[in-house]
Amino acid sequence: MATSIEVRNLKKYYGSVKAVDGISFSVGAGTIFGMLGPNGAGKTTTIETIIGLLDKTDGEIDVLGLDPDGDREELKKRIGVQLQNPSLFPRLTVRETINLFASFYPQPLSAEEAIDRVGLSESEGKRVESLSGGQRHRLAVALAMVSNGEIVFLDEPTTGLDPQARRRLWEVIRDLKEEGVTVFLTTHYMDEAQTLCGKLVIIDRGKIIAQGSPGYLIDKYFQERAVEFPDPGLNEEEKKALEGADLSKRVSYEEGDGMEGNLVILYSEDVTETISKAMDFGREVGKPIDGLTVRQPTLEDVFLKLTGRRIRE
Amino acid sequence: MRGKNSLERNLKIFKETFIANAKEFLRDRGALFWMLAFPIIFTVIFGIVFSGGGEISFTVGVVKGNDSPATNQIVESLKQIKTFQLEVGSKEEEMKALEEGNRSLVLILPELSFSELGRGKESRVELYYDATRQNTNQTLISAVKQVFAEMERGISESPKLFAVESRPVQSEQLTNFDYILPGILAMSLMQLGLFGVFQFLNLREKGVLRGLAVTPLPRSAFFESEVLLRLLTAMVQTLLIVVIGKLLFDVRLVGSPLVIAGLVMIGAMTFISMGYMVASFAKTLESGRNIIQLIQFPMMFLSGIFFPIDFMPTYIKPVVKAIPLTYLGDALRQTMVGAPPSHSMGVNLAVLAGWLVVSSVLAIRFWRWE
Repeated sequence: MATSIEVRNLKKYYGSVKAVDGISFSVGAGTIFGMLGPNGAGKTTTIETIIGLLDKTDGEIDVLGLDPDGDREELKKRIGVQLQNPSLFPRLTVRETINLFASFYPQPLSAEEAIDRVGLSESEGKRVESLSGGQRHRLAVALAMVSNGEIVFLDEPTTGLDPQARRRLWEVIRDLKEEGVTVFLTTHYMDEAQTLCGKLVIIDRGKIIAQGSPGYLIDKYFQERAVEFPDPGLNEEEKKALEGADLSKRVSYEEGDGMEGNLVILYSEDVTETISKAMDFGREVGKPIDGLTVRQPTLEDVFLKLTGRRIRE
Repeated sequence: MRGKNSLERNLKIFKETFIANAKEFLRDRGALFWMLAFPIIFTVIFGIVFSGGGEISFTVGVVKGNDSPATNQIVESLKQIKTFQLEVGSKEEEMKALEEGNRSLVLILPELSFSELGRGKESRVELYYDATRQNTNQTLISAVKQVFAEMERGISESPKLFAVESRPVQSEQLTNFDYILPGILAMSLMQLGLFGVFQFLNLREKGVLRGLAVTPLPRSAFFESEVLLRLLTAMVQTLLIVVIGKLLFDVRLVGSPLVIAGLVMIGAMTFISMGYMVASFAKTLESGRNIIQLIQFPMMFLSGIFFPIDFMPTYIKPVVKAIPLTYLGDALRQTMVGAPPSHSMGVNLAVLAGWLVVSSVLAIRFWRWE
């Protein structure tokens, strides 16, 4: 398989701050590549270094056979980029903005097509300053697509979108792949990375802590299942007892967000035994367990296991 | 072939970027106000204030000692002085009017008669004036003395040896508004260059320029399209100011349009590059705004575009001499209305070019896109 991007031992330091600290990966042509990590992990810095917006401290980068340092201008013509928190001319309309950006590229997509793909047809006459956050985001993605580039870089494309808009954007990204475009995507949404990406790297504090396909990562780091049930109101003592009760490999607690209550998660390789022991435990302490579910582990679980932290902390 | 294609492509990019910049500008009411409405308002206000045509008159109060022919002849002679507007009243009334600032001068005549004058009796004329108006007093007093000297010569029948006739030349024909209008134009060009850079600072601060940096848009094309837009705006400003000045206030226009246009371009370029120089030094929009206010305000008042530099105290003159607006104002005044030059055209152009070069060099040296 041909390679679109090859990165070796890339480093980007800001004084003593190591934003990116020696990462290596390759991106196959025509694939959706995901870089997953919490805020501040170094995702944006990586993208901006690959596209030549930032100078690297050390390492090697090859994009479409070009060096982002030396062949910056040539490279820009062949890629489309959506930056995080994009800013545009506030008083131009959606259509005017897309036309402007289209004029920069040698073989751009037509403005209609770009507008249509991100579903902005109804707002094409609106000024950028009057767009909602979600619309602005979709416009930014449209600007990356209008380049008709061989690689499209999307830096957290779905942050701040409602679930419906996110799903729509996922479709757009899948369509790009269908056309043979390589997509480089960063996200801190696990489900997004899991559904979209053929290959993933998980990055934390400037270093890659795991890479592979989502399935591979889950298999490698997780043979367990997650047994979840709403916290029946366990106090600290009871929580300790639950952890020491040898009914699962690990116990984790997830705080609810107001809509949902707190969750207790038991990671287990023997689900049946864990469930029955858990039910017994609940009866013993006089706090019966209700609404218990079993699910496949997600990348969220992988990240938690690898770093001991949640991804959105 | 490839060269031609890339030239065409660059022209297209430049055109689209220019259109985007122009739309962004024309849809920004604040910017439009400063660039177009403000110069118009300024021209109209100054036009109205100075449309008196530059005729200055002084109100002179006269208190008669008696109603004799001799007294009346003096009053008549004073009336002959064009710039005097005579008010005759009692001593009390006139002194009060002087204290209230309604008289420039009050003359108190003693009892006079030709027979007594003929006999050579000395008469004392009291002259009261407002001590705070130093500039005008000397002129007024000498004019009054002149009247009495004439009368004395008439009575004593001594021959008149000198006849001094004063004939106004050129500068006298200029109204105050003629003097002011090129100044308004110079000020507008300064504001265009300095305030115009706010748009750039704003786009830079908001990250719009950074967003453009990931595209193949050559940064120079963005910059050049901004400069072209400012130069065109300068032309529009000039037209508005000149047309309004001519149509509404009949400003005197003598210079060739081409030379005026050339000066406008040089002036606009100088202040545009000063604007970008500030943008290079300023990290944020806010600090840029402060620096520019700090520059433009004193420049406006110390450059002699609104009143002659001679009015200013000596210690401020070195500052005045350094300000580019001084020279642009002078160059425009000479060319547009034919005002007497403060500096030669060569000096004016050299100073403007000097500022243009220095600020361009500094702008490039400390340039920041982000």
